[in-house]
Amino acid sequence: MLGSKSPSERFGEVVLPHLADALALARWLTGNVDDAEDVVQEACLKAFAGIETYAGGNARAWLLTIVRNVFYTWLARNRPRGLVITGDLADLDELSAAPEAGVADPDGPEAELIAKADTAALEAAISRLPPPFREVLVLRDVNGLSYREIAAMLGLPLGTVMSRLSRARGLLMSELGSER
Amino acid sequence: MSAGEALPTNPTDLRLLVQALADGELDAATSLALERRMAEEPALAAEYARVVALQAAIGSLPRPQVSGEFRARIASLAGEDKAAVAPMKYRFGSYDWRALAASILVTAVVASGTTYWATRRSGQDEFVADIASSYQRSLIAASPVDVASSDSHTVKPWLDAKVGMSPPTVDLSKDGYVLLGGRVEVIGNKPMPALVYRLRKHLITVVAAPQGPGTVATPVAKDVSAGGFSIVHWTDGAFSYWAISDIARSELQDFVTRFRAAVAAG
Repeated sequence: MLGSKSPSERFGEVVLPHLADALALARWLTGNVDDAEDVVQEACLKAFAGIETYAGGNARAWLLTIVRNVFYTWLARNRPRGLVITGDLADLDELSAAPEAGVADPDGPEAELIAKADTAALEAAISRLPPPFREVLVLRDVNGLSYREIAAMLGLPLGTVMSRLSRARGLLMSELGSER
Repeated sequence: MSAGEALPTNPTDLRLLVQALADGELDAATSLALERRMAEEPALAAEYARVVALQAAIGSLPRPQVSGEFRARIASLAGEDKAAVAPMKYRFGSYDWRALAASILVTAVVASGTTYWATRRSGQDEFVADIASSYQRSLIAASPVDVASSDSHTVKPWLDAKVGMSPPTVDLSKDGYVLLGGRVEVIGNKPMPALVYRLRKHLITVVAAPQGPGTVATPVAKDVSAGGFSIVHWTDGAFSYWAISDIARSELQDFVTRFRAAVAAG
């Protein structure tokens, strides 16, 4: 039963198993491992304080949501003047929904070329993605959340999640394909 | 039936479907249609191969290691040993910004706390009124439950799947309260799990709201009423409960006592 366990026991069961996932998300949000550890630590403090409000369901998605919220607080504190999201998000989604060149383009990079891309080039390409695209890509391909979980977490329609993901992957593919 | 009859013709939508296939998000019928289409269109198949290759490449990127030291630090957050947490590293910008952020935060908390305190009563009254009107609707509806089962092991996972949470579901049949099933209540725009029990010809609905930061702990069951129904409210564990029925208040109190005892014995 949920109620019969102490908060620290629940913390051990709900939060600790997902530390690696939390750290992986924070690493891509903040851009480096040291900041990621700070963000995850803050998130875990919040998770512990709010452990009574965790009411079952996907513990990983619950923790990752907290990590993401803490990251945005951290960002505001850390880089008060840094423009992270440029332009209007609505424009961004319009852009990503617009028909693009390279849709099933036979001239697109070969799958083998993408598979052979070296780690550093791929990491650099992911870092260069616009944050709203990168966030969706990381939640899907690094953290393995489903479309629905991502939509619920970001408060976005499913279609927006799908088009951002598609756009993020399209950008990565064309970058990796051009680096010969 | 030609392959891809059910597929969109718009290339952008088709591209999204290819991604969804690679992500395992398509149902069997659409997957089949798309696979047939890809067999006919090499360009589409190449797109799929690219997505899969990219996923594999991202999947094989090194992930940050959770060091033993870091894990211990996090584990100690929950322990009694608070001293270990004290030397928290701050790489957050300059001191001035922290102080400013902190003061803004304090102001915001105080201000929103005051607003919250000022509006809380009416908020809770509204919540109770919502519960009463949903209960009234459930009495009129063809079925008071969305999932009909007297087996708590059926009701709990169903609620979990629908609303992502479920309260402890206890069997009280030996006390005369038959579990009819569960339903999803929407109270204040939030979906919440509800259990439905029957006593003789009367229905008792137990709405379980997850305890949030604004929840007032109510360990001792409290009588409320709205719309002419008896309502008993209490908090236990992760949930804030509201039991509502048209039976006499003393009987509802008795139900709540048994429900809570069964949950505690869980």
